[in-house]
Amino acid sequence: MTAEGRAVTSGGDDDEPTAGERADDGSASDRRPLRAFDTGRWVGVVGVALVLVGVGVVLRQPGPVLAGAVGVGYGLYARADDAPEATVAVERTPSDESPDPGDAVTVTVRVENVGDATLPDLRLVDGVPPALEVVDGPARFATALGPGAVATFSYAVRATRGAHEWGTLRAVARNRSGSRERETRVEVGTRLVCTPSLDAGGDLPLRGLTTRYHGRVPTDVGGSGVEFYATREYRRGDPLKRIDWNRRARTGELATLELREERAATVVLLVDAREAAYVAPEPDADTAVEASVDAAGQAFSALLAAGDRVGIATLGPHDCWLPPGTGTEHAVRGRETLATDPALAPTPSDEGFYPSLWFRRFRRRLPADAQVLFFSPLVDRYAPTIARRIDAYGHLVTVLSPDVTGSDSVGRRLAGFERRRRLRRLRGAGIRTIEWDPGREVAGQRETERGEADPGENGRKRGDGDGTGREGTGRSFPVAVAHATGRWSP
Amino acid sequence: MVAVTGGRVPTRSDASARDDRSPERDTRPPTEAVVVSVVAGAVAVGAALIAAPLAGAVVGLGVAVIAVGTTLLASERVLLWGAGIGVVGLAAAGYTGAPPEPLLVVAVALAVAWDAADHGLSLGRHVGRGAGARRNVAVHAGSAALVGVVAVGVVYLVYALAAGGQPVTALALLLLGAIALASAFK
Repeated sequence: MTAEGRAVTSGGDDDEPTAGERADDGSASDRRPLRAFDTGRWVGVVGVALVLVGVGVVLRQPGPVLAGAVGVGYGLYARADDAPEATVAVERTPSDESPDPGDAVTVTVRVENVGDATLPDLRLVDGVPPALEVVDGPARFATALGPGAVATFSYAVRATRGAHEWGTLRAVARNRSGSRERETRVEVGTRLVCTPSLDAGGDLPLRGLTTRYHGRVPTDVGGSGVEFYATREYRRGDPLKRIDWNRRARTGELATLELREERAATVVLLVDAREAAYVAPEPDADTAVEASVDAAGQAFSALLAAGDRVGIATLGPHDCWLPPGTGTEHAVRGRETLATDPALAPTPSDEGFYPSLWFRRFRRRLPADAQVLFFSPLVDRYAPTIARRIDAYGHLVTVLSPDVTGSDSVGRRLAGFERRRRLRRLRGAGIRTIEWDPGREVAGQRETERGEADPGENGRKRGDGDGTGREGTGRSFPVAVAHATGRWSP
Repeated sequence: MVAVTGGRVPTRSDASARDDRSPERDTRPPTEAVVVSVVAGAVAVGAALIAAPLAGAVVGLGVAVIAVGTTLLASERVLLWGAGIGVVGLAAAGYTGAPPEPLLVVAVALAVAWDAADHGLSLGRHVGRGAGARRNVAVHAGSAALVGVVAVGVVYLVYALAAGGQPVTALALLLLGAIALASAFK
């Protein structure tokens, strides 16, 4: 009973799961035992034993009778006890609570039997967050624990972007003979926040929808700037250095040089995070949402650095809206949003998505002078529709699309073909598009960051990119953006 | 293009679902359980061969089926077949008039072999090979063997004390009485 009391008090402590204190009150865990059930082991052992006894009686031999009696002993053993409740206190400690993406984090789980009954057969299955991949050892363990005994096991997960919450640890306890089984769900709150640093990308080609603030997007407005725009008649008060003195010398008329004004833009990064966007070229590759978030991060820091006002929104069931802004605080907030917002979680949400409601809300929030960078894999019909609708409302749209289609089966080639058709139609409708190959980027990053090339993987990704031979693929995001900047005049 | 909802990344609702037969995990039974089962099986075969060579061969077949059912087929049904064949071998040894002492050893060793194999399969499904399971297997096999030894001790003591010169039927009646008593307490 004292053990019960301990469990209850420590369970109460668990109600304030602050990340810093988690290691201290790690033994706190909330247990919920389910009903015990028969496993069906040892069923019929008494029957078989009695048959043996019968055989012995008929044959008048003591051997089978005695063997049968031993069998009856096993039958009693199977009925002797019930499956115990797994009275365990669990403490889970990740080696690093805020790792960088791609780091292997060792998670150590310490299990203590706080009850006063022995747990002769205890199996533990840890509730690893769905987005984390276990890279070393199963997150499972089997042991036997006497009262007060402690067991420890560990496994490693590869960190991915986002805030990850460990779920329920399932403890399956059997009785000694294994004839009864009972599952206990142990809630242990553990949190791992993985925030990628935003790589600053190069210049992003923006379209000519600007605010009245001074910036770097060239406009079709004459005024002060660096690039020649036009000449006009001299008006009284024009600055002397803007007067076209050559013309004055040639014709005697006074004229003023107009320069192209450069202004700041308001940009909203819209990331497609509907369930349809959670697609990847291979089952273990990063999804298009990951690629989009990564690219949006680069765009975010690049645009902020260039003095534009940048906001973040998602197209998906969860509401996520960071109004356009500037400044250091805004940069931090944007980084947080991209890393840990539930709307951009690494796994799709279960909730329903209502396109018309979403669109109405998005339109209401979008500032009138905002242009939209829309990150979407374009693997369904709705994504290009939304791009065209936003464009039709006067918010100039640039679609940035990670190419996540494969080419190694007819279905995948068809998906790739449909996607390219959607891109063509978007271009035909006057919407700028950039596509890039996220696999290429990851391969390149791994090579440079770790210094250890994984030849198989890189080779395969390379091969995929080159083998398709399509226009626009096989480029990483910065390369694709640089290419587009060269092609487009503002 | 692969819809990832079916691949590595499950939706949140799938996270708590049982994935006992996940392809990424080694679901074979832990090595320790297989070793215990095979050793116990070898003991059973040895004792049966001492008692009666022909019946020993049948028990050997049963043990082989258990070993195959553990390592290759991973099927509880096959294990039951193996144990059944072993019991038939036990009865056959009794038929040939084998002395009771080796038969008792065969019975316990066969029970431990089947128990360890079946336990190993369920462990393989729950945690898989590669997760630490040594202590679990040791405790489980140890208690099964202990129960067998205690049962043999009681049975053999009763046989040696009470059954000197008594007919076998009296033994069986004694056993039935014990079962009736035990189930009445239950």
